[in-house]
Amino acid sequence: MTRREIGWLVVRAAAVAGGPQFFADWVKAAPPHAGPPHAHELNSFAPPEPDRWSSYQPKFLSAEEFKMLDAFTAILIPTDETPGAREAHVTPFIDFVINAAAEYAPEMQREWRKSMNWLAGRQFGQLSGEEQLSLVRQMSEEGDGSSEGKGFAVYQLIRDMTIHAFYTSRAGLVDVLEYKGYAYLTEFPACTHPEHHQV
Amino acid sequence: MALAESGFKVALLEAGSHIDWMKEFKHRWPYELPFRGRGEPGLLRKYFRGSTEYNYRIMIDDRDNPYTTAPEKPFRWSRSRVLGGRTLHWSRASDRMSDLEFKAASRDGYGEDWPISYNEIAPYYDRIERFIGVSAAAANLPQFPDGSFLPPMPLNCAETIFQSACRKTGMPATPRRVAQLTRMLNHRPPCHYCGNCVNGCDVGAMFNTVVSTLPPALKTGNVTLLCDSVVSHVLMNDEHRARGVRYIERYTNRPVEIEAGIVVLAGSSLENTRLLLNSQKGGLANGSGVLGHYLMDQIGGAGVSGFLPVLKGARIRNDDGKAGGLYVPNFSNIGLRAGSGKFIRGYAMSATGGAAQFPAFAPGLAGFGSDFKKQVKSLYPAYARVWLSGGEMLARQENFVELDPEVRDRWGIPVLKIHCTHCDNDRRLYEDFFARAQELFRAAGGEIGDAKPFLAVPGSLIHEVGTCRMGADPKKSVLNSFCQTHDISNLFVFGGGCFVTTGDKHPTLTMMALTARGCDYLIDSARQGEI
Repeated sequence: MTRREIGWLVVRAAAVAGGPQFFADWVKAAPPHAGPPHAHELNSFAPPEPDRWSSYQPKFLSAEEFKMLDAFTAILIPTDETPGAREAHVTPFIDFVINAAAEYAPEMQREWRKSMNWLAGRQFGQLSGEEQLSLVRQMSEEGDGSSEGKGFAVYQLIRDMTIHAFYTSRAGLVDVLEYKGYAYLTEFPACTHPEHHQV
Repeated sequence: MALAESGFKVALLEAGSHIDWMKEFKHRWPYELPFRGRGEPGLLRKYFRGSTEYNYRIMIDDRDNPYTTAPEKPFRWSRSRVLGGRTLHWSRASDRMSDLEFKAASRDGYGEDWPISYNEIAPYYDRIERFIGVSAAAANLPQFPDGSFLPPMPLNCAETIFQSACRKTGMPATPRRVAQLTRMLNHRPPCHYCGNCVNGCDVGAMFNTVVSTLPPALKTGNVTLLCDSVVSHVLMNDEHRARGVRYIERYTNRPVEIEAGIVVLAGSSLENTRLLLNSQKGGLANGSGVLGHYLMDQIGGAGVSGFLPVLKGARIRNDDGKAGGLYVPNFSNIGLRAGSGKFIRGYAMSATGGAAQFPAFAPGLAGFGSDFKKQVKSLYPAYARVWLSGGEMLARQENFVELDPEVRDRWGIPVLKIHCTHCDNDRRLYEDFFARAQELFRAAGGEIGDAKPFLAVPGSLIHEVGTCRMGADPKKSVLNSFCQTHDISNLFVFGGGCFVTTGDKHPTLTMMALTARGCDYLIDSARQGEI
């Protein structure tokens, strides 16, 4: 039984037994979740990410495109002191989503195909890491609608999806943002800062 | 519930299915869903407008249930067909309307007064609040009457800052009043502050019908629950009385007639009206000719968002765990003078902030790389917004629904064609909100990031009411103040259809109070043999 399930049972049981205080104490006394390092600071109610990506094979992107996109997203959200796009499995998730667009959003597939072609046309996959970074920076600065603006559109397309994929992953939401919601609490944590009562 | 407990034998017909909420509703993290909340690309945008991957299965599929509008008059109609309906994922805001709203016409001369006053409905507000549980603080404001409340939920940091800003600017402010328990009530547990309310509460701490009103009703043994039953007609006898309804079995398409001594429609504002329009040429109970007319939604639109600098880089807290916010009750046109000169009627604002699950501001920031990550993290607890909870949209005869002459739903029932636009007063009210929202944001020390005024399409606030209005005069209204049709004494219509004005409050509590009042009247009248 996970801590999350225990929390759920506690809330249910509190209703039946009428002993919220007992359960409040019990929740506080419960041992911390055994998890990754720093678990004491992270959301111990967050379940592990389902293992959908470790043996994922690209469905929409070619192997070459997949590699290109993986390099691109790792530049956008790099691994530093905290996890980045790679740990968050951003690229396989993006491929999964685009592939699923066939039925209701074929225009999305066309847009991604064009963007991948644009990147391939710049030999993105063959560039060194520094050259890739330099091209991404150049694309990001082309937001002025000039004839070179196509690079900016490609950048925006990949960036929007990368941000969505990263901050909805467990790595992005729990490990990086330290999101504290989806909890089982007996009281809402009120503001405790006197300075916030005056502006 | 009231009818079953009074000994009436009740057949309860539900067009949607009977879901097991205890299995259906649980905390689901975005990464546990295939598409992380957005659904299969294109699917929700095309067929389940306004819903998310979390909740679209309890919403309605537009392919089975279309509706139409004139091309230049878009209307967004969010519907849910499932036992419990929209109570499963509503915003839970539970506000009392005041006489400033019920009697607004007498004050400013526009439109009609309601046929009831605050004093007549107040005991029913009390009864409903005590039963469903409303967490709130007394505010002692004439435009926002207090009631029988559970303790309020505390404010988070951003809301506390906005409350201070309200004090500074002279705006009223109080924790948002929500039908969400802070104490155990009627065998329902208190809220556990997960923030997952609109995807369906997993413990029944927020009010919805399946955990609150339905169990005691079923316990009486007087209720026969018929799900997957799509009602198409109210049936009449030769003495001009309702004799029952015809429904279509959802999966077999078999039509079935069911007899009843009294017929009560409670299938949402516009579905009730659609049923009356479909039951008789020209509309059943439509001696007044106003059935279908005076459609309203409340006014909604873009709010103001940005950051509260004092919260940048703050420790991450459970800021969105109660999904409530700070409520700024209406402060317009409530003095002795009925109008500010700019517009009539009023609006309410809400404000909140802090770490909400997805950093919605992140796509709008420039840049990438480690610096971008650090910037998102720093701004995550500082993001804040002020939005329009609801503004009064004026009741106008030319906003109406009718049956579409050609389009039918999957069961062959004609669908609604909706005609609804805003008027100048609606637009001026929105403009005033937008200016005051920026004023509040700045008073809180906020940096406004996104402030583009945009009046939302009618229907967007999901507060659609009217089309079956109540009134004292049978020539100008469909229902009397007990939600009984003027024309047919054993036909009642509960829900938002009866609203004469939208007011500036969330409509649900008033719908519930009017239903309780109407049921009392129905029970008394039936016992005395008057219906």
